[in-house]
Amino acid sequence: MRLQRRSFLQSAICGSPILSSVINKENLIASNGIGQTHFAPKAKRVIFLFMTGGVSHVDTFDPKPALTRDHGKEIKADHPEIKDRPGYERIFLKKPQWEFQPYGQSGTEVSQLFPYVAQCVDDIAMIRSMHTSHSNHYNATLGMHTGSFSFSRPSIGSWVTHGLGTENRDLPNFMVIAPQQTYAGTQVYSSDFLPARCQGTLVIPGREPIRNIQPRITTAEQKEQINLLKAINNLYLADRNHDTRLSAQNSMMDTAFGMQTAVPDAFNFSQESEQTLKLYGVEPGKTTGFGWQCLAARRLIERGVEFVELIDTGSSGNWDAHGDMMTHVSLAKNVDQPIAALLKDLKRSGLLSETLVVWTTEFGRTPFNSSADAKGREHHPWAFTSWMAGAGVKPGIVHGATDEHGLRATDDPVHVHDFHATILHLMGFDHEKLTYRHAGRDYRLTDVHGTVVKSLLS
Amino acid sequence: MTRIHHAQIVANQIPFCSTQTSWSNSDDFLIRLNTKRHEIASNSELISVTMDYETKNKAALQTHNPFRFRRANPMKWNHRIGFRFIIVLCGFGWNASTRADEFDFFESQVRPLLFDHCYKCHSEKKTGGGLSLESPSDWLKGGDSGPAIVPFDPDSSLLLEAVRYQSLEMPPQEENNRLTPAQIAVLETWIRRGAHAPERVTAKIGGMDHDAAKKWWSFQPLAAINSPLTSKLIDQQIDSQIDEHNLPHLPIADKRTLLRRVTYDLTGLPPTPDELQDFLDDSSEQAFSHVVDRLLDSPQYGVHWGRHWLDVVRYADTAGENTDRPLPHAWRYRNWVFDAWNQDLPFDEFAMKQIAGRLPSHDLQAELDGEGIIATGYLAVARRFGHDIDKDMHLTYEDVIDNLGKSFLGLSLSCARCHDHKYDPVTQEDYYALYGIFASSKFSYPGCEPFGQPKDLIPLVGEEQVKTIQAKHRMEIAAFESVLGVESAQSETIADLMSQSSRVINEQRVNEGQTVPIPSNDSGNSKPISMRKGELLTITIMPNENHGADTTQIVWQIQSDLHAEQSWHSDELIDHFSKGQPTIRIRQADWLLIDRSSTPQLLRNPNQNVSNVPALVSFTNAELPSALVNQSKDSVAVWTNLPGRALFLHPGPQQNVAIGWICPEDGSYSISGSITDSHPAGLDGVSFRVEHFSEPALGREFATLSELNLRPKPVRPPDPVIPVAYGVVDGTPQNSALHLRGDPEQPQDAIDRRWLDIFGGKVLKRPDKSGREELAEWIAANPLFSRVIGNRIWQWHFGQGLVETANNFGSRGAAPTHPILLDQLASHLVSSGFSIKSLHRLILGTQAYQRCSQSGPSQQLDPNNRWLSGFSRRRLTAEEIRDSLLFAGGEINLNTATSHPFPPEREWTYTQHNPFTAVYPSNHRSAFLMVPRQQRHPYLAIFDGADPNTSTPRRQQTIVPAQSLYFLNAPFFHEQAKLFSTRFSNIQDTRQRLNAMHQTVFTRDVHQEEFDLYRKHLGSHAESLETGWVGIARVLLSSNEFLYID
Repeated sequence: MRLQRRSFLQSAICGSPILSSVINKENLIASNGIGQTHFAPKAKRVIFLFMTGGVSHVDTFDPKPALTRDHGKEIKADHPEIKDRPGYERIFLKKPQWEFQPYGQSGTEVSQLFPYVAQCVDDIAMIRSMHTSHSNHYNATLGMHTGSFSFSRPSIGSWVTHGLGTENRDLPNFMVIAPQQTYAGTQVYSSDFLPARCQGTLVIPGREPIRNIQPRITTAEQKEQINLLKAINNLYLADRNHDTRLSAQNSMMDTAFGMQTAVPDAFNFSQESEQTLKLYGVEPGKTTGFGWQCLAARRLIERGVEFVELIDTGSSGNWDAHGDMMTHVSLAKNVDQPIAALLKDLKRSGLLSETLVVWTTEFGRTPFNSSADAKGREHHPWAFTSWMAGAGVKPGIVHGATDEHGLRATDDPVHVHDFHATILHLMGFDHEKLTYRHAGRDYRLTDVHGTVVKSLLS
Repeated sequence: MTRIHHAQIVANQIPFCSTQTSWSNSDDFLIRLNTKRHEIASNSELISVTMDYETKNKAALQTHNPFRFRRANPMKWNHRIGFRFIIVLCGFGWNASTRADEFDFFESQVRPLLFDHCYKCHSEKKTGGGLSLESPSDWLKGGDSGPAIVPFDPDSSLLLEAVRYQSLEMPPQEENNRLTPAQIAVLETWIRRGAHAPERVTAKIGGMDHDAAKKWWSFQPLAAINSPLTSKLIDQQIDSQIDEHNLPHLPIADKRTLLRRVTYDLTGLPPTPDELQDFLDDSSEQAFSHVVDRLLDSPQYGVHWGRHWLDVVRYADTAGENTDRPLPHAWRYRNWVFDAWNQDLPFDEFAMKQIAGRLPSHDLQAELDGEGIIATGYLAVARRFGHDIDKDMHLTYEDVIDNLGKSFLGLSLSCARCHDHKYDPVTQEDYYALYGIFASSKFSYPGCEPFGQPKDLIPLVGEEQVKTIQAKHRMEIAAFESVLGVESAQSETIADLMSQSSRVINEQRVNEGQTVPIPSNDSGNSKPISMRKGELLTITIMPNENHGADTTQIVWQIQSDLHAEQSWHSDELIDHFSKGQPTIRIRQADWLLIDRSSTPQLLRNPNQNVSNVPALVSFTNAELPSALVNQSKDSVAVWTNLPGRALFLHPGPQQNVAIGWICPEDGSYSISGSITDSHPAGLDGVSFRVEHFSEPALGREFATLSELNLRPKPVRPPDPVIPVAYGVVDGTPQNSALHLRGDPEQPQDAIDRRWLDIFGGKVLKRPDKSGREELAEWIAANPLFSRVIGNRIWQWHFGQGLVETANNFGSRGAAPTHPILLDQLASHLVSSGFSIKSLHRLILGTQAYQRCSQSGPSQQLDPNNRWLSGFSRRRLTAEEIRDSLLFAGGEINLNTATSHPFPPEREWTYTQHNPFTAVYPSNHRSAFLMVPRQQRHPYLAIFDGADPNTSTPRRQQTIVPAQSLYFLNAPFFHEQAKLFSTRFSNIQDTRQRLNAMHQTVFTRDVHQEEFDLYRKHLGSHAESLETGWVGIARVLLSSNEFLYID
């Protein structure tokens, strides 16, 4: 295992004039906490698995026998998604299309859609009482990433990297692997008002995974160019050597140069055993599929990246199964084996004990529809399932519950803000204290909300 | 002791702000509160209060008090300029000792109960349900359910009901913290005795003590200045602070440095070698001011300084709602801003036009002028939110109020949307007083997913002209439709004739890939068909189950019984297809290709070279159905293998297609041939129907239709172009309700539209209008207005303002480093008629501006260069870097750009699943780049471009690897470097070529040490010298000297 995290520029950032120019002073006050957690962290890093479009909880991780029993029964619900919607004057319960069965020692029930993840339930804390504040993809996706359902705010990955304050020599600390853009655009991994170094770096699997990472000239030519540049810069620096920004430009060029090797190296699976590739379901030479993303995530955290987000699909052709629940089959197939592989692989290497793995979506899907025979399900902010595994998480438990039809999160509900508070807690941060002064006030990921879900903690 | 010093709690900062309406608990508050417990302040600080609903007698005790009377108030609480008057309960024979006893009872018996059982959720920090139980004013005001306590009447007090679990149940069951009966009895006794308790000591407006607010530095009138401001006077202030802080006065910079500094400063572009020469040659004392004058007269000045303003007003070219719809007309506002700076439009006028669309002093009868309407683009470009943007207009108004406050007043007004401002003297009523003004205005509508296209755009030409344009368009459309009308009438005539005369001879199914012979008649024998001249025979091809299309080969022969030698064969059509005629006459008989989707239409549009095969020719009207021939002898492999020398019909889903034959002479005719499904891919094949239409007029009618079809095809007249602005006009004037906790679902009493309390709270004189004009006047007359813009100008010259927080002049903002100077700048603006250019001249004329960049020693002593002993070196902005690259490459387009190449509005189908995401390349200056909101612009994001979603008072200057990667690998960078190097490839001499390059980007010749390095570099590229030169170009364009301004 290679952990290459290095403290780079940190001393410069905390004590020298670079700060005054790089970060304005307003931020300095709020940035004192950089590099210091509030208490001993359980997790050193996060892998955040985001399923775009709204995964149906009652068809995946939240078994509802009563929903099958009452299939076709009419119900009443003042539901935001169907309010005043023509054709939805009457609504009927619709049974799940997949069977559930208990797995492992814990006996946590999982549906046929996730046969591989099911094998890992003893490592998972299932949260069946998630709920959120919006029934639109855009807003709910933004909320799940930034804690704000309307406004542009820093994403959770930016908050974590801001809090940890480490400088990674060769790779950015917050990386987002997404074959396509999810809802709400680049806002979901934006650092917004946090320092630019907390910005999520987008990785698009394929030829040039990171913007401008692909050399246009030979390595030798690049080296020559950088050396010449440094020599020229040093002449300029001669009577300006107090200005650390200028020398930082030189070292940043080294960092960028290193990234050109480090990034392809991180995404080069040729040293991975056939067995590993098989475990993740990765075909040699191909960069498509969630298996590639999961294996890449493992390799990134091995290289010191602190927050890796994997987004499975884009803003269309995703889990948004209005028309037909059967589309869940291929989407689940894309992620199921790779996610289980990631958990097993991390466990095998011991990394799971210091890595938090989070699986979520933006909202659930309605346990009802305008007719019980309708093939799809609608958006459902009232209840959905997320899960956590790994560092600091109580394994093999189920937290919270929905009512018998999966309509409302009734027992120990966990709002998105609580979810965020818990992730930050596991990373060693008090979500009320991880703040940043911007435009005259202190902002935090959880706004004025959020309670750590203690029963999820080991 | 368990007493709490209220002033301490009040002062305890409440750092967070909720934009949502649910509340959660926190242990943190208890911990903090515990640490705050200590002796109560002396009694003399305390005032006991109750309230008298009936009395609004201002002569009553003149103590300001933050009472609220929302739901609690039995009478309508119309706005009464901010402060509420209270009456001390002193008429019951109280004396000081009784009062002290009561307070003591409260503090010793009651407060601990409240503290242990209630404060976690109901205190100053967390007002669950809107209720705080910290002071009499809090509980008398109550929360969402009304007053919590009615003094002397426990049974009417909600608090008692709640702890008794009668209606509300508090503390909630799950807290396991219910009061015991004995504790409830204490509360009962206390309330029965009058619920006496000490009030908070200080009266507040919003988050600031009243007295402090009245004295807050930035709200004070501008200090009077006795003599006109000069550069020298400015220097005196700067110099005295430099001395005060024992800093060195750095010398004046050399001319080259100065020219580079001021040229980038005023235009965002580098100087040219000629400009340097002129400056060097000008030995007069006014040399520098000549340069300044020249630059201020350059149109590039407005682009650069207008862009500063666009940062502040978070300008963007998309709406920001869930689909991020383009704003195709926002550019007019952008360009208006650039023009306004170029023309030195007085800044108060500039501001008022943006807010009100016109100058309030102008003739009220005068119609809004176009320029003013374009200026209101400032308001219109406010971000839109959500799926159906009308449902989230309260957030758009928040964005407007937020930006208005920050941009013009340096106040964070939007903090008061959900509650009074936590730090500044802005109340929630203030917020909704302004909210009403914008809710009384009508904003251009950008469209959104459920309501597709833009509307409420404001025409920039007069009503008459609009009518003329529209009338002309209507006529064009009418002409267009009349042409279509004649055709469709003809088609209907034919349809009627056909339906009256139809006789089906045969109908059969052709299974996938099969060939079926055409039977000669319905009875299966070979009896000929009797036809008169002009009658029609057709074979129609129909998709089965409407599954669409199969390419169907037709082989059809028609034999005259009368003349054995006379026959017609469909193969004869194959070569005729190239002639482009919709009807094909062969030996007096007309062949027709008929679209039978609805009323019969002839397939009329010839298409050569179908699927890039020259032998394939087709006739279509739309994509399908079609008639197609393969003119080659050989088969061609396209979507399927099409045999050579063959004719095909290709139906579409529910789009039948037919081949027809018009009888040339009365007689009997025998038919034969075959129908083949030539595309054996699907599963369902096709069907065909042979039909005889015994109507002799059909031949003539089809001939007429054919003639109509042959006329030039009418083109739909384009939509009329009416120049429009994306702006704001007055709507229905109305006061807005205060939203409880910012939630529009919980409207309270309406708040009169008015100015902020702290500034006097004037109500609208003309409530029949939106109030934007009066608001614009109030703003422009406020001392904050001139201080804030004066400070911005200073900041944009020096890199930091005299007030470091340019958008915040409130209590959380920074104090001015040079307060008198700030007032002098502001006063100068007022007295100069808000001429920004005159302020530029004063500032640029100072020694402070012209000093060398900060040196090592001065930086050590004053790391942030607050006292300006030297100039602050700065990195170029994102726009300056890109413009300089284009400039170096010689490709920059310095003309004004207008609209972006957005797709036509009519075609927009953006959804949250497929939002607008285009990026448009351009060689115009970067200030003209299309700036989207949902996706950061990929280039601008790398170099700290402005945030298009919120006001950017000052650009960051981060150093991150993405920037270095840009200089290593970005295609645009490589392109510009190559252009830069080849621009000078005709210069043979190495030193001369290096000088030319250095002059272009650094306005100087190459130094000897540099020359040596470059020569060495070129030496290693002897085999391919130009590669070496491109390398040098890349080095120059990514060097610190390129990126930083001394």
